[in-house]
Amino acid sequence: MSISPVKVWRNQKKTNHILGKAGRILSYTLIYVPPLGFENEAPYPVVLVELEDAAKYTAQLVDYDEKNLQIGQKVIAVLRKTRNPGLEGIIPYGIKFKPI
Amino acid sequence: MIKKVAVLGAATTKFGELWHTSPRMLIKESVGQALENSHLSPTDIDAIFVGNMLSGILGGQEHLGAFVSEELGLNIPAVKIEGACASGGLAVHTGVNSILSGNYQKVIVVGVEKMTDHKPEETTQALMGAGSDEERTAGATFPSLYALIARAHMKEYGTTEEQMAAVSVKNHYHASLNGKAQFTFPVTIEKVLNSPCIASPLKLLDCSPVSDGSAAVILSSDDFARKQKNIKPVWIAASQVATDSLGLSRRKTLTSLNSAVLASQKAYKKAGIKPLDIDVAEVHDCFTIAEIIAMEDLNFFKKGQAAEIIARGETTLGQGRLVVNTSGGLKASGHPVGATGVKQIVEIVNQLRNEGGKKQVKGAKIGLTHNVGGTGATAVIHILRSS
Repeated sequence: MSISPVKVWRNQKKTNHILGKAGRILSYTLIYVPPLGFENEAPYPVVLVELEDAAKYTAQLVDYDEKNLQIGQKVIAVLRKTRNPGLEGIIPYGIKFKPI
Repeated sequence: MIKKVAVLGAATTKFGELWHTSPRMLIKESVGQALENSHLSPTDIDAIFVGNMLSGILGGQEHLGAFVSEELGLNIPAVKIEGACASGGLAVHTGVNSILSGNYQKVIVVGVEKMTDHKPEETTQALMGAGSDEERTAGATFPSLYALIARAHMKEYGTTEEQMAAVSVKNHYHASLNGKAQFTFPVTIEKVLNSPCIASPLKLLDCSPVSDGSAAVILSSDDFARKQKNIKPVWIAASQVATDSLGLSRRKTLTSLNSAVLASQKAYKKAGIKPLDIDVAEVHDCFTIAEIIAMEDLNFFKKGQAAEIIARGETTLGQGRLVVNTSGGLKASGHPVGATGVKQIVEIVNQLRNEGGKKQVKGAKIGLTHNVGGTGATAVIHILRSS
């Protein structure tokens, strides 16, 4: 499905308050069979994180070593490109986590 | 006033990779057989409820009620019900309520899904329609979301990959006795553990397959059912639904699906029974961890103990007091998502009529179905009784 610029614009407003927050990994997985749009990235880790304000968020883990893939690992929310938009689409940015 | 709803006829097609069969042919087969078992013809029917998830996104067909009605040559009310992998169960629930309302006397509930015509990435993406925006943005897949659940369950209760594999071994064994199942070959713990990783810690043989198939039941009011001399009706003792957040990040716990807990508590109360009264159950084992958690959510076993009990074979045919997933479950019988919730009812109806064949649970009187949409955003519980 094509990426709607309006949806990107609307959804970005929701991500602001999560950026820069730290948290800990509650659970993690390494995805080997990806959905459409993520074919070139597999295997990639997805983590469920409990943030410092007790809210939870699911996103990819980036800039990681294998030893970071564990429950309890400290991470911080960063802004990254979330999907490859192809030649004509708008580039969508969103939340990912990196170990700290 | 309508007090009870009966299942008259019940049928499924073969589940599997059915490249030569169209959705139309699948529906015609399951509905045709269910009507035949009910000694009814299409013109006896008052309304149609269709359980389906992906006909729009994969098949381009977004008018499924009329699609089925047209196929049967009818002009009666026909509605598609969607709730991800719980679409079939929700369609049964809606059919039951339509009869309890007094508006209809005899209805068709048919679940159908055609998934194998498409590339794995397309099907994987389409299924993520059941998740949250946040999860789709993360590139999560359904195996990966259940992998997050599995990892949390392993950490909290010491559940092992071998115990999860035992669910697959049991369900493949049951499916080997089911001629309609997608996979009729047995597997071993080693084979499951050595199968390719899909989303760690879940491996290929921990996951239900991509499937085509259809299942149908004919429901009627108690008045009508009691007048049928040559049919042994099975009674719907409870039909209950509960919902929860679409995504995992808004849940209090990862190791239990609250929707399934709530819906099953309501169902036990409505049916006036206890979990221990259930003889046979079809539960939503989309992934092996899901059956373990289902056993705990349904209060069959204490939290954290189900994995070990299943691995000991206590829910396997011929060994246990409670036998689980005699059809082979989603894992081995196949998981055409919109058909699954209806197929579970068909299997329990067959069991309660003592028509389960080689997989018959001796003396089964009370059965339960547990159908889950997404990672537990919807749960549908049915309790059925033979009398």
